[in-house]
Parts: sequence; C-alpha cells; structure tokens
Amino acid sequence: MHGSPPDDVWDLRRVTAADVPALVRGADVLGSGGGGDARPAGLMFGHAVGDGYVRLLDPDGATHLAVSFVGMVGAASAFTEELAGGGEFARALRAIERWSRRSATALASIEAAGLNGVTALATAVWCDLPVVDVDLCGRALPRLDQFSLAVVDGALPPLALALPRGQVVLVDGGDAVRCERVVRAVLAAEGGWAALATAPVVREDWSLEGPVRATRRCLELGARLEALGTSASPDDVVAALGARLLGAGRVVEVARHAGAGFGRGSVCVRDQQTSALLRLEMENEYLVVFEDGAPVATAPDLLVVVERRTARVVACDRIRRGDDVVVLQLPAPAFWARPEHVGRVMPRSFGLDVDPVLVAQPAGAAW
Amino acid sequence: MTGSLAGSFAGPGAVTGPAVGPSLASVRALPEWRSAVVLAGDPAGVPLSRVVLLDSPDELGTAAAVDALVVLAGPSWRTAPAWRLDAVLRRAADAGARAALLAGTEPLPGPTRLLCTRLDLCVVGAGGPLLDLAASAAVHLAAPEVAAARAVLTVSRAVAEGRVTAPGPLVDLCSQLLAVPVALTDASGAVLHGDPSLVVPRPDTPVPQRERGSDGAGNATTGETTVARPVLLAGLLPGLRSVQRWLVARVPTSAVVVTDDVLAAASTAVAGWLAADRTAVERDARGRAALLTDVLRLTGEPSPELRQRAAAAGWPMAGWHVGVRVRTGNTTDVAGLRHEALRCASEAGLQLVVAEHGDGWSGWWSSDRSPSAVEVRHLAERFRRLHNALRHITGCATGVGRPHQGPAGIARTLSEATDAALLAAGRPEQGRFLHVDQLGVAQTLLAWTRTETFEPAARSLLEPLLSDPSLVQTLRVYLDAESSLSETATTLGIHRNTAAQRVARIERLLGVSLNDHEQRLALQLACRAVGPRT
Repeated sequence: MHGSPPDDVWDLRRVTAADVPALVRGADVLGSGGGGDARPAGLMFGHAVGDGYVRLLDPDGATHLAVSFVGMVGAASAFTEELAGGGEFARALRAIERWSRRSATALASIEAAGLNGVTALATAVWCDLPVVDVDLCGRALPRLDQFSLAVVDGALPPLALALPRGQVVLVDGGDAVRCERVVRAVLAAEGGWAALATAPVVREDWSLEGPVRATRRCLELGARLEALGTSASPDDVVAALGARLLGAGRVVEVARHAGAGFGRGSVCVRDQQTSALLRLEMENEYLVVFEDGAPVATAPDLLVVVERRTARVVACDRIRRGDDVVVLQLPAPAFWARPEHVGRVMPRSFGLDVDPVLVAQPAGAAW
Repeated sequence: MTGSLAGSFAGPGAVTGPAVGPSLASVRALPEWRSAVVLAGDPAGVPLSRVVLLDSPDELGTAAAVDALVVLAGPSWRTAPAWRLDAVLRRAADAGARAALLAGTEPLPGPTRLLCTRLDLCVVGAGGPLLDLAASAAVHLAAPEVAAARAVLTVSRAVAEGRVTAPGPLVDLCSQLLAVPVALTDASGAVLHGDPSLVVPRPDTPVPQRERGSDGAGNATTGETTVARPVLLAGLLPGLRSVQRWLVARVPTSAVVVTDDVLAAASTAVAGWLAADRTAVERDARGRAALLTDVLRLTGEPSPELRQRAAAAGWPMAGWHVGVRVRTGNTTDVAGLRHEALRCASEAGLQLVVAEHGDGWSGWWSSDRSPSAVEVRHLAERFRRLHNALRHITGCATGVGRPHQGPAGIARTLSEATDAALLAAGRPEQGRFLHVDQLGVAQTLLAWTRTETFEPAARSLLEPLLSDPSLVQTLRVYLDAESSLSETATTLGIHRNTAAQRVARIERLLGVSLNDHEQRLALQLACRAVGPRT
C-alpha cells in the first residue's frame, strides 16, 4: 500500500496478512504512547488470517449492521505475558449475544489503536464477520467511561468480559463510571486483562457515535512509515505523518510515580537544536507536552514519541533516559475535537489543570 | 533633623556599590536570608526592584513582575507535580521576574534546574518561614524609594515651613540630602549657587537631562551621571524661553532616580521664588514705563508731582542729558533683563537711567554741565561698548541722541536716539549702532525714507530685484561704495567678476543705467527704505 487509494477502495477493503506491518506501525502511532504494543496482536492476526482476508467496511455503508465492539481491556503487559489462547474474544462475543438475544452481524474495535487496533480484526477471522471501521476511541484512551458511546449515550451497552482463565463476567446497567470501576476491580482480581465484547449496536450515522476510519488511518500512516525505510530523518517522519514537530533530542529525565489511579510519569527531552526543555506528562498515554514550562500540545491530539534513528514509536512504558527521540503532535480524531466531546478527553479529564492545545485537522480528513 | 535624613538616605547606596541598584546578592546578604540556598539559575548580577507574593500562577499578568522576586507562597510547590513548578516558573519569567523564592532547601529536579537556566531565573530555597524572608526583602528593596520619599519630603517641608527661603540654602540642603555636589545655574548654565564645576549637559534643550559622566577628557565613563532639571516659568512672553534656571547634580548612576525626584521638588520651590521676584519686577517695570511716558510728553517745566515721582525713582531731570534707545524686538523679556542691561551699562562706565520702553529700553546719561565734544565722543564710545555687551544677551539695535538741556531735553534727546535706533536696525555693516552726531545732516534726512509713504514706492522700484536678496544687497553696497566694483566685492566677500555680473544683471532687471545720477540717488534711497534682509 503506497499513497492514498481513492475513497471507493475503502468502501470495502480486504485486510490481509500483508497489511500487518503497516497496521502495527500505524496502530502504535495512534496509541499516543499507550494502547499496548500492537506487534503481538499483529502476529496473532497474521497467524489467524493465513492467506485469507477480513472485510473492512466503511462506516457510511454500515448503518444496517448490528455491530459488537470487541477488544482487550486491562494491562497490555499482562496480555503480552499471558497471550490470548484465541478463544477469549469469541467467548465474550457469544456470551453477550446470548445475554442480549441478538446476533452481531459485524464487529468493530473498542479502540483502534495500539494492540486493540488489531484484536477486532483477529476476532473477525475467528467469528467470520466483517469489521466496520468505527471505534469508541479513535486513539488510545485509558478508561471505559471515555468510550464514545458512553459520552454520547451516557451509559455503555451491556458487555461481557472473557478472562484468560476461562471465566466470563457480564456487566449490564449503571453508568459508564460505575461500569469502569467494576471492570477494573475484576481485572485487578483476576488475570490483569480480559477480552471485552459489547452487545450488538445498530446506529443510523456512525460518525455521530464515535471516531470513524481510525483503522484506515492506521493503515495509511503505517504504510507511509514503512515506505520511509530504515534511515529516515525527523523531517521525513514529520512529512510522512503530517505531524507538527515539537522537538528532537535526548531524554534527560524520566520520573514515574504511582498514584491513586494509573501510574503517572514525566519525561523531559532537551531539544538538540534550540536547547528548549520539553516535558511530557504521561499516564498510560502522553497527555501534555510543555515547552520550557508552557503547554504547547495536549490530549486529545496524538502526542507521539518516535526513536530518531528508526522512526519506531516509543511507548510511555518503554521510554528511558538517554533515548534519542523526536516528539510529534498529530490532530485528534474529529469526533474528539468537537466542543461537546473534548471535555471528556482533554487534560483536565486526566487531572492536569491545563487548557487543550490542539492542532487543526487538515481539510478533508476522513477521520 | 535634615542631617539624620541625609544619613539614612546615603545608606542603601553605599551597600550596593557605585553603579548597581538592589540585587539578589544584596537581598541574600540580609540576616533573615542566612539559611537561603540557591537551587537553580545564576544568582550573580540579578537586579531586583520588588517582591511579588504569589498564591496562584493566574495572578501573574504579562509584565506584572518586572525585575521582581516572586515568592511561591501558595500551595506547596514542593509536592506538586514537576510540571506545575515548571509552569509557574515559566509564568513568572514571562511576567519579568528575575528570581523566585521556594520553601525547602532540597535540590530541584534536573530538568527544572535546566529550565531555570534557560529562563534566566534564579530560584532560591529557604528552610524558614517564607513570609519573613519576603518581608525583609520587600523592606530592603523599598529602602531607596523610602529614602527618596523622605528626601523629597524634607525639601518640601523645609520650603513650606519657611526654613529655607532662598536658592542658596536650598541648593545646600539638596547637596546635603543627596550627599553629592548640587548647583543652581542660570538659563545658560552659568553656576549661581553651589558647586561651580557642575555643567548642564544641554542648556538649550528645556527637558530634564541625564548624562553619563566622563572623566573630563571626555572618553571614559566614571559611573557617575549628571542630572539636570530645568526650572520652568510658563507664560512670560510669547516665544520666550521659559527655562529660567537649571538644577544640576553629579551623582552615582544608581542614585539618578532619587536625584531626579529631589531636584524636581527643589525646582518647584525655585520656580515659586522666581515667580515672586518676577511679579515685583513687572510691578516696577509698569511704574517706570508710566513715568517715562510722562517724561517724554514734557514740553516745558515738569509739574511738582512729576518732579517728586522722578526724584523717588532716582531719575535726574535737571542738567544736560544724552539719550539712548535700545530696540530688542518683542520676543525679548525686557523687564526680566533690565538689571542685565544696567549691569552692562555700569561695566561700560555709564551711570544710566534705564526704563522699559515698548520693544526695548530707553535711558539717558545726565551731567550738570554741557558735555564737550571730546566728552560726547567718549560717551559714544561707552554707549557702543554697552551696545556690544547687550548684543551678547539679545539681538538689538541701538541709537544715541545728542546732548540736550533740561527736563524737556530728555524727550528731545530720546527722540533723536529713537530715530537713530530705527536707522541702526538697517545698518548691519555698522553693527546696528548709530550716534546722531555721527549721522550728519544728510543721513538724518534719510530717516524720512522710513516713513510709510516712501516704503511702498521704494519697494515697487526695487520689485524686479526682490526675488533675489543678494541683488538688493549688492546694489546697496555698490552704491555706498561709490560705484566701485572692487570695493563692493571686498565688502560682500565675493569675486570682482561676480560683483560685475550682478551689477550688470541689476541694470538689466531694472532697465536703468547706474551711471545716471538721478537714478542712482533714487535707487540708493530705495535701498535704505527697503532695508537689509538678514
């Protein structure tokens, strides 16, 4: 895949094993430092799909479908340690179909970024269903109450969790914050991660329900990164991603502290050219970039750190002092940039008392 | 009392050295700051002017803390996330702060230290209560201003309470308060009171002035600044320079602002005295002008009442009188400069009566007996010296009359002097000074060419030349020089050929021949009437 294919190609796109490298790299970019390493999930999908394919449907043509959103919740590190046996996602889907007495006619990802950028596609192979290119995050987000359906509806649809040891937990009713609390409690008690599937949902216009075409964005960004080859300059990466360059230099400090919720951390990068001091505040994702103490970029935009030499994404849990990195800002999905939605994903929703600083979407962006 | 104030004023200046105001270094030398530790940034050469207590970073507007020490007194910045401390330091630096005070002496995180170096902000940590440190720093930083306010108050009170009533003691008081040399000069910068070595940098520019000092050779600065403040008196005469005096001081550069304030207070007092003096001068001038008018109207013997008034003014009316008329133009402060005119007269060896008269002065010299021809010639010499002295003060034309006897003789000799002054104004080549005795009958006759009927006729006769003033001048000089081209060229400082060309051009433009006696006479008279163009 090179360049942008015409839109009609994307009405029904066949995703094959050959797409895995681009998919994985794009999903890491949309992870904004979190979301979990997409590579294990990519391997899982490649193995499952073999020389077949998964149908990826544009959301505009998917209004008649009952879509179940699937994905992994919990700690990505736990998932990497205790890999999926393959049956968890199908088990969660079957359980919620049984509970809601409706069959899903299509799947979608709960979060088309990081490893969940691939899990829905793998599940689609196992369940023989198409995947609609709509999701609940459009990037990596840490909490279930930040899912777009929770923002739009105020509550989540019923959902099933399949734990890696075989148990299935059903969560129905209550608002999204309570739902998040219950799910976290279950994950803390058992296994650390679970396959999640929501009850099938039918909607008139998916673009009002959540970020759209994030998988297509993964594939396109990933393909452009792959096309750069092994020795790309920061300027090449900036051009390939259509990003804003915030700085490039060595990591001078990484400080991590455990807090009440997710662990917090702070990464300081000294720009090689200007000597400006970039401070990246992070939770599971990079949330705010300060330049010399002043905020210059914030969530929900994608704040992406890539290794300067390889242009590989450096996740929050992997960044170390001494890394030579490039710090980039990419526009958030249009869904989150809307004024009525931005409040759920802006820095204050993560406890950082900073106003959002976003870059504008390029004209005609599909996501 | 003023002595103790002067002492307290000199204090802070002495602490910080010659060219530096209060700084972080001087604040850190305070006893309350003994436990303070520099946590980030360079503490050297950080100027401070005030203390800003900060509870929340939102209190900082742009430039709200220029050269300030920001005290982070709000929530504990030590336990806040690092980005919050970074952010508040950045806000402080953006608002102009040069230093920050933080609770606790534990080291700051590396990136924050790097940031402070980048922001040129020095962070100081202290174990003790921050407010104690902040208060002592605030008092220390305000000390120069407090001392300046005290000095200004001392000047104002000394004047208001009548302890200082003249410029001399006032200059002494300022000098004592500021502990530097101070002087009061006249409008031209000549020292009247105080240190005679002080110089007004630019006496022609009526604005407060500061000039970095030089070592006399004019090359190296010595850390001293000359501060000069004009004493202004508004609304005397249209076009009159309203600067009457200058107050000047040479001070260490750090004390410039204070000096400015003290001199400003002193200048108000000086201006007040000047205004009072001025009122007296104006009153006297009005009296003299009225008396002079009555004397000039005199045809026979004066009335006893006029005699008494003249005697009271010290004006001799009996005997022989030689009048002098000085015309200065109406932009000169004749009332204010009368004593200067008197001084010039006595320096020229003349005991004169001088009175303000229209656009200048009228005066006369008196003697009991008729002056001899030699005496008149000597007198004329002294009047010329007086005229030359006055020309340094104001552009003027001076005429001197012939001796006349008795009270009515004053009017007569002054009338001749007035005519002579009128002619003198048109005679730059004679230094704008004319003595009626030297005029001769013919010259005196020329006076009538100044009349209003002759001048328009003369102007129309010379009309073709008026567009080029050099032609009129050349014509006048040529005719005065008895039609000698070489003398004309010498007088005008031009080449003989140029003079010849101009004369030819004049003849062509006027359509006349300068060999014609009648034409020459008419043109010579017309040149007198139209007058020289300066």
